Amino acid sequence: MSKTKKYRYNRHTATFVLLLILSLAMIFPFVWMILSSFKTAADVYQYPPRWIPSVWNWKNYGQVFRMIPFLRYYWNSIVTTVAETGLQIIISVLAAYSLVHLKWPGQNFVAALMRSSMFVPMVVTMIPMYLLCASLGLIDTYAGIILPQITTAFTTFLLMSYFASIPQDMIDAAKLDGCGPTGVMMRVVVPNTKGAIATATLFSFLGNWKSYTWPLIITSKTEYRTLPIGLKYLTQESSSEYQVMMAAAVMTILPVLIVFIFFEKQLVRSITLTGMKS
Amino acid sequence: MKLKKIPAILLAALMVVSLLGGCVSSYVDKTTEAPAPQTTEAPKPTEGTSAEPGTTEAPAPATEADISGTKLVVWYAVSGTSGDLFNKLSEKFAKETGVELELSYSGGSGDTATKVSAALLTQTQPDVALMYAGPLYTGGEGDFRIADLLKTTNDFDQADVFEGMMDYCDYMNEGFCAIPCGISTQVMYYNKDILKAAGVDMTNPPKTWAEFYDVLGKVMEKGNTSGAEGFKAFDTNDEAWLFKSMLMQNGCEIIENDNGEITPIFNNEKAVEVGDYWKSLVDAGYMSAAQHSNAEKAFLGGNLAFIAASSNRISRWTADSVPFELGAIEMPYFTQPSLALGGNVLVILTKDESKLQAAWKYVTYLTNAENNTEFALGTGYLPIHKSAMERKEVKDAIAANEMYTVAFNQLSYTWAYTHFQEMGTMDTQIKSALGKLEKGRGTSQEVLDKAVKEVQDEINDK
Repeated sequence: MSKTKKYRYNRHTATFVLLLILSLAMIFPFVWMILSSFKTAADVYQYPPRWIPSVWNWKNYGQVFRMIPFLRYYWNSIVTTVAETGLQIIISVLAAYSLVHLKWPGQNFVAALMRSSMFVPMVVTMIPMYLLCASLGLIDTYAGIILPQITTAFTTFLLMSYFASIPQDMIDAAKLDGCGPTGVMMRVVVPNTKGAIATATLFSFLGNWKSYTWPLIITSKTEYRTLPIGLKYLTQESSSEYQVMMAAAVMTILPVLIVFIFFEKQLVRSITLTGMKS
Repeated sequence: MKLKKIPAILLAALMVVSLLGGCVSSYVDKTTEAPAPQTTEAPKPTEGTSAEPGTTEAPAPATEADISGTKLVVWYAVSGTSGDLFNKLSEKFAKETGVELELSYSGGSGDTATKVSAALLTQTQPDVALMYAGPLYTGGEGDFRIADLLKTTNDFDQADVFEGMMDYCDYMNEGFCAIPCGISTQVMYYNKDILKAAGVDMTNPPKTWAEFYDVLGKVMEKGNTSGAEGFKAFDTNDEAWLFKSMLMQNGCEIIENDNGEITPIFNNEKAVEVGDYWKSLVDAGYMSAAQHSNAEKAFLGGNLAFIAASSNRISRWTADSVPFELGAIEMPYFTQPSLALGGNVLVILTKDESKLQAAWKYVTYLTNAENNTEFALGTGYLPIHKSAMERKEVKDAIAANEMYTVAFNQLSYTWAYTHFQEMGTMDTQIKSALGKLEKGRGTSQEVLDKAVKEVQDEINDK
């Protein structure tokens, strides 16, 4: 083997080993969660830590269903997350397009206002939001959970940066072909930023899926409660029963994995395009 | 079909299977439908809510027929096994009285406080709540109906309740506005295997913090038999709670209440002595600096010899769940034994006077000697009745688990300071002060002075 080839081989091996270590570090909590969901309490706290459960204890999964109405919570989480994500993306696409490609008075002021809203923690707006929802009769309703969470400056600004990368020539060409603002958005901007929209959808889905405080505050009835509240019920006082919590976490994370697998291609593409933008 | 989609479909299938599999043991809905009421007549409303205790007409004692059919919305801030037992007792009440209960878990103590605060502003509060710092939401709002009910009914045997626990239900010395339920103190748990290895005779446990300090030295010297990195002799998972107990043990009253005017005093000479002792634990390497949130995991993982934690761990840390032999001793003290109470209380928040009697019956049912003892033994919280100590089930529990003896013995020297609006801030400031002290960012006097100033400023800004 020539010196150059040997050098390349060694360099690739080193890169591979480094990436392997990093990958293992990334996957470690996930594997630990799955294995812990089958452990007994004694296994969970054993020191030095035990990787493989001494007995594969499936009862932890049954315990989750005994302690909380898991199916109901699951359904509620799916309903609210899908609705919130869908509406968030629609609103964000419209807002981002309007702020980037349309000209209207006060545009910069509105953008600055939206940007500043990102610095206000949710806990500050919680009680005013609750008062508003109460006056609209939205307590203990799906609408009460969904509506206050459908506007987000983060997704809008994320999309704005991608929308701005669409060449003006392409937009002008569409206009020459007879497209109005809606046509430009639907036929040019959206199709060319599918990756970015997928990324925004994924972020939005993740944020909504794990949303805890607002659904807890606005609901009191079991029929509207979501999964994070159920998980909290399992964990808070069962601090010594991590295995039950892990079983619930494994079941909770599955929809997120499914969404990720479906959007993976677009996500990777959008990351690649980010590097080429300039 | 693209190959990429196959894992997603498999996962979806797995999700459905796991959900269906889990359904084998189905959840019992917490909403308790009462049996059909025996009478359809609406309960008669009772008169007036008083702003001051004992100033209104006494509410007429209610019978079960009066309250049957009443619907109560109940929020509770206990989860897991405690939540399940709370639900079970509530269901029993509903069955016996015909009261319909809508039970709802309201999150942790902070979540529940936010939820109740928001609900009070919009008049959407529950009728009854089991929550931390309940007097702030009743007495703090001028609602002392419980004080009236205590005087005018015989439903609750106040004389049989530990004094400290009733103090825990008082607001600014103005009157009782809650009923204790789910109260705890801190207990000093220890890993018997470690202490045995260290050659410490725990049949004669350390009584004072000075003696305890010596024991910690021996533990660090010989107790780490597994050679675990990060092994420590002592920690607590709630430093503010322990520190307040230690302050009282050393003669510092924490706050002064001069006719409703609160002055924090936990920076006086006595408090500084406690701070210095606290720092010495870190300096000697006996306790980790600012790692209290990991203390419980470290203890259960066998990396910590002693932990000061809530008495409610007694029922949770069982032989099945703890991989070593567990013991407990009474909390060491400085000059006098003294322990701060913590935990939840029951409050009546309903503004619908027609529900008041049902709410009171429910509260007193949950806290009568029999039910409260069952709740205490099932959750590790402390029984509130002195007479509970004479009950067979308590004696059996003590015989089966020696740690109950420790928790129950401590009841004789528990106390509670008056509830005041800034008590949450005070705990936050104490935690922050201890964190700085442990990291060497100031002397005891400096960090406590700053904490006291922050609390005082908030009181002044009110």
